[in-house]
Amino acid sequence: MTSAALGLVFREASGRIVAALASRFRDLDLAEDSFADACARALEAWSREGPPRDAAAWLYRTAYRCAVDTLRRRRTEHRFAPELQRNAIEEQPLPDEWTPIPDERLRLIFVCCHPAVALDARAALTLRLVCGLATREIARAFLLAEPTLAQRLIRAKRKIAEAGVSFEVPEPEAWPERLDAVLSTIEIAYGRAHEDAAGSGPHFNYAAEMLEITRVLAELLPHEAETAAMAAIVRFAEARRPARVDAHGIMIPLADQDPAAWVEPLIADARRYLDRAVSLRPRAPRVLQASIHAAWCARRTLAEPPPWSEILALYDELLRVRDDSIVRLNRAVALAEVRGVDAALAEIESLAPRPLDDFLPYHAVRADLLCRAGRCDEALVAYDAALALVATSAERLWLERQRAALTE
Amino acid sequence: MQYMLLIYEDERIYGPDRESPAARERRAQHIAYSRELGATRLAGSGLKDSTAATTIRTAAGKQTLHDGPFAESREQLGGYYLIEAPDLDAAIAVAKKVPLSQNGAVEIRPLLVPG
Repeated sequence: MTSAALGLVFREASGRIVAALASRFRDLDLAEDSFADACARALEAWSREGPPRDAAAWLYRTAYRCAVDTLRRRRTEHRFAPELQRNAIEEQPLPDEWTPIPDERLRLIFVCCHPAVALDARAALTLRLVCGLATREIARAFLLAEPTLAQRLIRAKRKIAEAGVSFEVPEPEAWPERLDAVLSTIEIAYGRAHEDAAGSGPHFNYAAEMLEITRVLAELLPHEAETAAMAAIVRFAEARRPARVDAHGIMIPLADQDPAAWVEPLIADARRYLDRAVSLRPRAPRVLQASIHAAWCARRTLAEPPPWSEILALYDELLRVRDDSIVRLNRAVALAEVRGVDAALAEIESLAPRPLDDFLPYHAVRADLLCRAGRCDEALVAYDAALALVATSAERLWLERQRAALTE
Repeated sequence: MQYMLLIYEDERIYGPDRESPAARERRAQHIAYSRELGATRLAGSGLKDSTAATTIRTAAGKQTLHDGPFAESREQLGGYYLIEAPDLDAAIAVAKKVPLSQNGAVEIRPLLVPG
């Protein structure tokens, strides 16, 4: 077995195994370290004897034993080991060949996305522990230096251990708050992946992870409208990825994308999730967002006019349940097509600009509207503001082209 | 686990001697809340106004006495509870019900030594 093939086994098994160990021993570091130990042993043993029939089960058993060994060692080293660890060692027999790996990923997702964990660490921690991404990969995706991200992960794990964050799936009364924390974490993580239209940049690796994590979440919580909606959103957006960049590597805006290039099976998959979400809670914010994606993905050819009126109507509904600057900004794009550029500009200028100053789409949308309104000088300033924030090449090239067209 | 719940509020609404109608009302709420907590509550009390506070600051090993609280801010530490809770979620549930004026904060801190 090549080391690349081993890497794949490790990656695929890691979420389930780390989650099972973490919820068994109530200790994230112990779970991670034991899994790493098991992987190291696997490399050695498998290259000698060949891989076992069920590689994941082998890794789980080995990691479990490593964890128990570590706890025993700690107990002899510090004679005052906490009660909890003693229970953890003695409660149950070691897993044998027939023990299935319990699926505790949902529990682990709720731990990683606990509202008591710093917002900027939740997504990174989930990607690290549940998806098994390397710290290096996550750091690249978040455009952070690796030591900075590693530090953030350490702080978050320490907080979870020291504050006594529960490893239970939350009680019904805490459910809305907790589930929302999970879903916004996924939104942040996916937002990073989606920013990069070409899918070739630093975020490339984990768009696939987002498909997987939303699938798992929708499967584990089949009666929550917003988990199904989230799975739909990620699929609709990923389905359009092949059409988001032209042959020269320049971003293509949604309304100019050729629907023939969209990935039909992903769209079909997304629709199934959306149907479920709509049957549960059609007016939930994320369900409306998924419906907006669905309206776009219903377009069959470029010759068909874009569904702007339908999009605007959906944004009007969304505004009633989630009134924030980003929804208003996105709605303004549809507003410009349906009621004209002036109406859209008036809407955008009424937004409090301060919180959106660092938000690239704000400047890009504004620049486009100003340009269409014939206010070229202001449009140039807005393009410059957008260009100062852009991080991926497809978007940069597109903005540069738009800006250049203004000065011709 | 044991958690300390530290209550921060704008103390001016209760009056300097804690005898304003708002203070009386809040006191009654705390008494009812403590009763409701039962064995979960290990200790707790309101604190006198921060004007009654004295702070000993140590800088470079040298101690100096100051009139007033450690930090000058609009919200002041005004009381605390020490509670027993199985985990953070349980502590949060308890802390969310701490009687509080319209604005304020409850900080949840686990004790260093497990009780």
